[in-house]
Amino acid sequence: MTQNEPSAFTAEETAIIRKRQAARSRVMGVALVGLCILFFLITVAKVGVWG
Amino acid sequence: MTTATRDIILPAEWRDFWALTKPRVMSLVVFTALCGLLAAPGSIHPVIGFTAILCLALGAGACGALNQYFEADVDAKMARTAGRPLPAGRMDRASALNFGIGLAAFSVGIMGVAVNWLCAGLLAFSIFFYAIVYTIWLKPNTPQNIVIGGAAGAFPPVIGWAAVTGDVTLIPVLLFAIIFLWTPPHFWALALFMKTDYGAAGIPMLPNVKGQRVTRNQIFAYSFPMAATAILPFALAETGLVYGAAAIVLNLVFLALAFRVWKNETTDAAAMKPEKQLFAFSILYLFLLFAIFAFDRMVIS
Repeated sequence: MTQNEPSAFTAEETAIIRKRQAARSRVMGVALVGLCILFFLITVAKVGVWG
Repeated sequence: MTTATRDIILPAEWRDFWALTKPRVMSLVVFTALCGLLAAPGSIHPVIGFTAILCLALGAGACGALNQYFEADVDAKMARTAGRPLPAGRMDRASALNFGIGLAAFSVGIMGVAVNWLCAGLLAFSIFFYAIVYTIWLKPNTPQNIVIGGAAGAFPPVIGWAAVTGDVTLIPVLLFAIIFLWTPPHFWALALFMKTDYGAAGIPMLPNVKGQRVTRNQIFAYSFPMAATAILPFALAETGLVYGAAAIVLNLVFLALAFRVWKNETTDAAAMKPEKQLFAFSILYLFLLFAIFAFDRMVIS
């Protein structure tokens, strides 16, 4: 199944889509920041602070 | 979301992706893996230990997502699972598949790079075993599905142990065996009072195929080797008296409940109190057994 063209949605559906996209973007942003911190800490744990 | 008049699919909510990972199953995986990690001899850097548990959780999430992708049609036929994102029409199947494959690849890759490749190999095998061997092959084809498939759920403490030691010795194999032998009585107790649900979905669970008497016999029969295996770490002097006493008490309660299930003759799901009690206790049993095992080993070491 594929996503429908934006023009196929009503104003109400478009509002729901935007709200969900914003919520997913926030979750993805938090996950990516968390991963950056984790990868940094893994690097420190593996090679030490001074390499 | 699909409307009756137009075939509209809205993007799934992030909560639906979270639901795909079966968080409750994931919590048991994380817990048993953490116990394996804490019980292992030696030490592990806290960041690496955290990464190992995180990768296991993500791997378990991948199993859940792939399982729901393959079983969307079956889930739609059971009241217990009809509300999941795919059968409820809140998500398209391709999203679930991509999410599952992505999580699996990510968790195995990070496990290999950050922890060790033995853990990564075990994690990859357990994901493959659950998503492919169990979900696609065993579950729809044999009433012994959860006996063999239980192996997938038994890997987490082994991986937790291997994250610390880098190898697999007798104790993690015993932890594997405890979960492996615990799985049949746990799931068959559920299958007894959910028989109609599984039957409607065409899943050949033991009660549907062999009948309730055979299932009750098997539950009682499996409880004995499970109890013996659970007490073995104490018998082999690998744990202290705290675990030994707890294992004996917990297994006596488990055997008593399994005995009541064995003696029960009712076919009415509403009257299956012993089966519901055994199912509920089996979850508590595993949590307590592994928690006390880890505590005991940490005190000894």
